[in-house]
Amino acid sequence: MMDFLDYLGRNYADIFAHTIEHMQLLGVSLTIAVLIGVPLGIYLTTNEQLASTVLQAASIILTIPSIALFGVMIPILSTIGQGIGFLPAVIALILYSQLPIIRNTYTAINNVDPNIRDAAKGIGMTTLQRLWKVEIPNGMPLIMAGVRTATVLSIGIGAIAAFIGSGGLGVLIDMGISRGNQNMVLAGAIAISILAIAADFGLKKIQVKFSPKGI
Amino acid sequence: MIEFTNVSKTYPGGVKAIDDVSLTIEHGEFVVLLGPSGCGKTTLLRMVNQLEDITEGSIAVEGKNIHDLNKIDMRREIGYVIQSNGLFPNMTIEENVMVVPNLLGWSKEKRAERFDYLMDLIGMPPENYRGSFPHELSGGQQQRIGVARALAADPPVMLMDEPFGALDPIIRSRIQEEFMDIQKKLKKTILFVSHDIDEAIKLADKIVLLKDGEIQQFDRPAELLNRPVNDFVSEFVGEDSVLKSLNLYQVKDLQATLDLPAVEGSPDGKVFHPHDSLRHVLAHLLHPSRQYVYVEGEDGTTNGPVSVEHIEAFVREITA
Ligand SMILES: Nc1ncnc2c1ncn2[C@@H]1O[C@H](COP(=O)(O)OP(=O)(O)OP(=O)(O)O)[C@@H](O)[C@H]1O
Ligand SMILES: [Mg+2]
Repeated sequence: MMDFLDYLGRNYADIFAHTIEHMQLLGVSLTIAVLIGVPLGIYLTTNEQLASTVLQAASIILTIPSIALFGVMIPILSTIGQGIGFLPAVIALILYSQLPIIRNTYTAINNVDPNIRDAAKGIGMTTLQRLWKVEIPNGMPLIMAGVRTATVLSIGIGAIAAFIGSGGLGVLIDMGISRGNQNMVLAGAIAISILAIAADFGLKKIQVKFSPKGI
Repeated sequence: MIEFTNVSKTYPGGVKAIDDVSLTIEHGEFVVLLGPSGCGKTTLLRMVNQLEDITEGSIAVEGKNIHDLNKIDMRREIGYVIQSNGLFPNMTIEENVMVVPNLLGWSKEKRAERFDYLMDLIGMPPENYRGSFPHELSGGQQQRIGVARALAADPPVMLMDEPFGALDPIIRSRIQEEFMDIQKKLKKTILFVSHDIDEAIKLADKIVLLKDGEIQQFDRPAELLNRPVNDFVSEFVGEDSVLKSLNLYQVKDLQATLDLPAVEGSPDGKVFHPHDSLRHVLAHLLHPSRQYVYVEGEDGTTNGPVSVEHIEAFVREITA
């Protein structure tokens, strides 16, 4: 135990730097994942057939082990000289985030009370106005819940991405194992857990703030 | 004004919901669509604001064929109220009520002023509810807000689909009365769906009785009750139709039909006012201890006596 604290005392700057890296990876991948997943989820509510295909594809992606996904991406991205590093990690996290984000958005919009949708239509809102003023605000809690799931999922998978050189807290675990340094592994694992809990908590706050007061 | 000309509607599955309906609702008229479940009331109503397509025929609102109008624009000019009120849970009461003026780009001041006016109209103090959310209101209050929202941009035409259907009978009857007062002031052209004949009799200038998408009778409530055109109508209005219709007639109608002499001296029975309903008079007379009542004439005289036989004579007149 003293040993571990000692390790922390000497390496806190390094651990902090890896945490920042990890958050950068998450920040970039989640932003892009939301920008793709939310509009796609909304669009799918207008196309029943495409919806089941896309949701199925997203579920399949989620079942691919991350190591295998990285393995597949290395030769593909090598053609542009990016086989390992930040880019493949970001792409993997975007892919893994799609299912929770698309599915929750799709469900959120589809689950808006048909009477409310009917009223919105009947008083003369355009499709876009209905979406902005009624459907998205009322679906907000569910959409944000999807983003939260994606975030926590990404924090874990982001650690594995260290194997392909993405940086981040996974590096501590990776190096700790290969060097037989238990303190390093432990520091990485704890930092990842704290990050996951903090992110979930922070996003919950954001969810409450962004969700309209009346629902 | 709303005009239906040979309107039919067949749903994609093949159900013929409306069958060759022609109907004119005059300016300022309150018309109730009445009929059993599934007879096509909602369908007919929703064709007016183009929430349902018309299969055959045409509908004109304020003299313009709705087919030639922009759907979005025309819906903003027609008030729409539905049973489950359809208030937007994410918006405050003020935002809900002002949603159409907002879409129409009214200024903030004009909206605030209009909100205050409408809330006063429906009897809810604007300051108390401005920032509330729909879930904080009772069912009756939500329904009033639904009515206020439909009235917001002062549309000449209102479509109402069982707006008071979900309320308990006491609240319902109070809101019906409030709404009749509002209608007396505003004189909107109203198409109102109901499956409750008592509600229809109470509110309507005229009733459209539908069955399987076809009009059975389009008439004033008293006519529908007393002169049903076919078996379906007489069955629908029920065995107590005469009694129901007496609600619609007042003492002055009785006086107009029967020549009642003025009484000398003080009357030996209750004196009814010209605007009292004949149903009240009859209920009073049915008590074995009473034989006669008297009625107040237009010029302040007391006329009578009136007995059950007079009411019977009156009923013979109106059902003839
Ligand atoms: N979207 C739809 N698709 C297919 N059929 C429909 C649709 N909407 C209504 N119908 C059918 O059309 C007929 C008329 O329905 P409508 O909703 O107009 O009746 P209603 O008189 O309003 O009934 P209720 O009093 O139960 O509300 C019914 O037979 C119904 O099953
Ligand atoms: Mg209906």
